Amino acid sequence: MEAGSAVTALVVFEVLVTGGMFLLYPLIVRKGLLFGVYVGESACESDAARRITRSWYAWMIGAIVLSLASGLAGLAALPLPVAALAPVVLQLTAFVALYLRAYRRARALAPAGTPPAAAPLTVVPAPGTVLPKAALLFGACLGLWVMGYAWLHYPDLPARVPTHFGPSGRPDAWKPKSLSTVMLLPLMTLSMGVGLSAFARLTARAKRAIRLRDQGASLEAQVRFRAAMTNFLSGVSMLATTMLALMAATSIQVGLGRRPGLPPGVMALAIVLLVYVLGGVGYLAFRYGQGGARLERARADTPLTDGLADNRKWILGMFYVDPEDPSILVERRFGIGYTINFGNWKAILLLAVFAGIILGICAAALLAR
Amino acid sequence: MSAGKVPIIVVVDRTAEEPVYEQIARQIRMGIAAGELPAGAPLPPVRVLASDLGCNPNTVARAYRLLENEGFVRIRDREGVQVAPPAAKADAEEMSRLLGALRALLARMRQAGAAPEELRAMIARELEVIHEAPVRSARRRV
Repeated sequence: MEAGSAVTALVVFEVLVTGGMFLLYPLIVRKGLLFGVYVGESACESDAARRITRSWYAWMIGAIVLSLASGLAGLAALPLPVAALAPVVLQLTAFVALYLRAYRRARALAPAGTPPAAAPLTVVPAPGTVLPKAALLFGACLGLWVMGYAWLHYPDLPARVPTHFGPSGRPDAWKPKSLSTVMLLPLMTLSMGVGLSAFARLTARAKRAIRLRDQGASLEAQVRFRAAMTNFLSGVSMLATTMLALMAATSIQVGLGRRPGLPPGVMALAIVLLVYVLGGVGYLAFRYGQGGARLERARADTPLTDGLADNRKWILGMFYVDPEDPSILVERRFGIGYTINFGNWKAILLLAVFAGIILGICAAALLAR
Repeated sequence: MSAGKVPIIVVVDRTAEEPVYEQIARQIRMGIAAGELPAGAPLPPVRVLASDLGCNPNTVARAYRLLENEGFVRIRDREGVQVAPPAAKADAEEMSRLLGALRALLARMRQAGAAPEELRAMIARELEVIHEAPVRSARRRV
């Protein structure tokens, strides 16, 4: 495939995937929630709620078409990285603007009063804890091994080391040897391996938002969704760690002159990871729904309890803030998966550490270029 | 969760006058008395229950301590919190204290307007709820 048509395919792919995901969010939310607002199980089927949702679909389809058109037009006029990123940025901006519009309209349907909090006294063993433990061990061992491998071979590396590889797997950029250029990928391997699997372990212990009077259907749905999400994230962690470790180790071998370039397995693993992530998210969304929404058979007389139903604890329907709540992860109101409790200092600390590592790696990568 | 088993749910209303720890303790007490929580049944760890209810872990710990003092639960480091079986033999001192509390409660109900016949009917109904179930399940398990 020519480079030009590959970039065109990439732009079309990223616009359709991100736009399609945003477009379909209203289909997977817990019943009673409307664009980040708890409006109640009956009100979310009212004409007013339907109008808000229909407007979302219409405007989001418009935003996808506009992003696609501007992305394709930009390919001819803009430099490559800007042309590839511009449609996604445009789409994200449209998503935020349209979400805020829908959120503001949904607020008018929110009921007054404080919903009760509820929890099961029946002990349900935390599901899916074996795979995240294995993923954590795997990520830590592989990350440390790659760090050790890079450290041991550091003295033998030549004065200039490869820092970038082209689509063929051959190096196309070289820089003077330094600790930051050599240790960057091993450090990224360790951080991703440990960080992602730790997130998977936290997911297995995330807060459960259940419904009253539903004979345990919402609890069972939550348990199944959390287990599936935990196992999915553990899989992402192991695949990403393997790919990064392979890249890190073979790039050192390329630097030592033992290999001409990265093995084809790296590209194959990247494709497997992409297919796994997209397929996994799609499967979780449409098999389980957000928080198990598709399994719980919610009715008007089975209201959600306060974790998701208390509008005062959610800023803009996206950010959960409750200093009294010891939960670190809570279910998202709009989208798929979990978000952190911004009122919990432990959650903030974890976020700060993870963001610090990612920013540090990005800064080191920029300095190495 | 085992298939077909309906979970026992504790509900907390933060706008109520009754403190949250009392609300939790009262519902667990009633669950035990009604036989829904049999002797030996594990209760959720403090952190899990606090996370699900969105309340401070100290609140749940206080409810569990209160229930432990009343003899409803046992708290062990390794086994966690478990429903305790009813005492094999009534303690005379404890019975005397509880009888005093019952007399005070009956006096308040009488003062609130309940006729003696109504009181008898109410007590009979409540006894029916708590009478057999917990003792049977405790004997089976202990």
